Amino acid sequence: MKRIFLLFLAFVLVFVFAGCAKRTVTAPVTQEAPKETAQKAAPVEQKAEEPVMAKAEPKKVETMPVKEVTEAKPAQFGNILFDFDKYTVREDAKPTLKAVADWLIKNNGAKMILEGHCDDRGTNEYNLALGEKRAKSARDYIASAGVTKNRLDTISYGEEKPLCKEQTEDCWQKNRRVQFVSGKAGK
Amino acid sequence: MKTKELRQKKPLKCYAIFFSALFAVCCLLSTAVEAKIYIDITSPAIKKLPIAIQEFSGTEGKQIADIVRDDLEFTGFFLSIDRAAFIEKSAEAFNPKNWTVIGAEAVIKGTVHGEQNLTAVVSLYDTSEGREVLRKEYKGAKASIRHLGHSIASDIYQHITGEKGIFRTKVAFVAEDEGKKGLHMMDWDGTDIKRLGIKGNFVLRPHWSQDGSRIVYSSERGGQWGIYLLDFTKMTEKKVFASRGLNITGNFSPDGDEIMFSSSQDETYGLYNLRISDSKLTRITSARWIEISPAVSPDGKLVAFVSDRGGTPQIYIMNRNGYDTRRLTFEGSYNTSPSWSPDGKKIVFVSRVSGKHQIFIISPDGSALSQITDKGNNEDPSFSPDGRFIIFSSDRNGGSGIYIMRANGESQKKITPPWLRAFGPRWSPN
Repeated sequence: MKRIFLLFLAFVLVFVFAGCAKRTVTAPVTQEAPKETAQKAAPVEQKAEEPVMAKAEPKKVETMPVKEVTEAKPAQFGNILFDFDKYTVREDAKPTLKAVADWLIKNNGAKMILEGHCDDRGTNEYNLALGEKRAKSARDYIASAGVTKNRLDTISYGEEKPLCKEQTEDCWQKNRRVQFVSGKAGK
Repeated sequence: MKTKELRQKKPLKCYAIFFSALFAVCCLLSTAVEAKIYIDITSPAIKKLPIAIQEFSGTEGKQIADIVRDDLEFTGFFLSIDRAAFIEKSAEAFNPKNWTVIGAEAVIKGTVHGEQNLTAVVSLYDTSEGREVLRKEYKGAKASIRHLGHSIASDIYQHITGEKGIFRTKVAFVAEDEGKKGLHMMDWDGTDIKRLGIKGNFVLRPHWSQDGSRIVYSSERGGQWGIYLLDFTKMTEKKVFASRGLNITGNFSPDGDEIMFSSSQDETYGLYNLRISDSKLTRITSARWIEISPAVSPDGKLVAFVSDRGGTPQIYIMNRNGYDTRRLTFEGSYNTSPSWSPDGKKIVFVSRVSGKHQIFIISPDGSALSQITDKGNNEDPSFSPDGRFIIFSSDRNGGSGIYIMRANGESQKKITPPWLRAFGPRWSPN
């Protein structure tokens, strides 16, 4: 029973993969289908009583959204860190990246999502670009160790998902990171 | 400050109603008078026009007159004379002698009738000529009294300066609502805040189409950054582009049929042009470095964007087709977020100075660089539709809020309430 389920998972993954791989630059954007995508913008919920206070400060950071993979696990690898305004892979990040590569080579059906993050000292859009570059640098390093790129997905959250919010060098450093989110497919 | 406005969140439908109501309000009776410009706001040294704005008689007369006064005062072109100095009573007929003695060059008087539906008749007088130069009738629901006031201010402003004012404009922006970021709308003065009912965990600053009927924005949904289009005339949202990697939209082309955006869907970063009508996608640039935040110029010929090709983020300008790229900013090591003035003669952007983000203005030829903020961190600047004001976000008073200022940096003022975390404002074009 479990085998069948895992097989099914593998199938789903392959499917998702194929879907992504097919995209090319020149393909016209055909998200037309007005019925599906043009959803009525939902009316605002009537949570009228409470004003939107700036109260709920510390969000739970550990919930990592993983969408394309069915069986998401929190990262088994520590975050790798980056220098201020930089997206080059640091020496101290290389052991982790090698470990991720080894793990992916061993777990043939697995896939990894690399989330790029920044501290909050940049401007929003540029920070998103920076986070994406960090994720891609990490991805390229892992790929150079023998993992095919289509098993490595990247997403940037810029400064939107900080691990801490203090204005200290310690905290900024924690936030300038790539996080690994693994999805298990085959075994 | 303005807690009540947000408490009554209303469905999006209100906007459709609002927009049509605006047109209704604008159907006015007007006494045609030859155009005389009282304040030449295009001249560099402006003498403020002393104006007397009397409490209107009748229902809500004071409130409406106050809205008109606040609007006009904010522009910095008017000096509103203290009502305590007035000699003439509201109910009395206009007599220029009563006003010239207290220094007023223009006088506004009005009467308001009605209970739920208000009718206001407002007159503008020229004290030196001793006559009425403008009289208009306005109708509007009591519930939208602010819009009524803004309409009056708008007409008076236009009569006196010869330019279309901004008092009927709106602002689309991002605010944090119960821990989630969502798109919001408000009047330009920070009132009537409403949340738009769209999905997504994260959303970035929106961009308006020139006709004000649509906004385009980027949002992260289901682990993907996509570009979405919201049509205010139908209140529908449509996904126009999504892929792996990062997809961040820039603004519309002047005709509203194209958008420029930045994508890393491919192995490299690139700026793309998307024609909305037939979904034709054209790749404009391809780069191993970062290229983001494209801003199409108001004439549609140029694009300002941010690139780190030289090692640090700087602003560059190129032709729409991707050729003739040149670097615009050379001061400082971090320059981002370019946005054009409506006449295409200025670019406002963010520069890092001593670790803080400040707003600067520069000419597209690289001359006339000037810093216009110096407190806290300031981000996401863009011009008002008349080019006379700049809206931006700032954390100078703690949490991020939205501010407006005159385009030379004067009269910086927070317009969002202190309890609302707000970012990424964009002024509506009309």
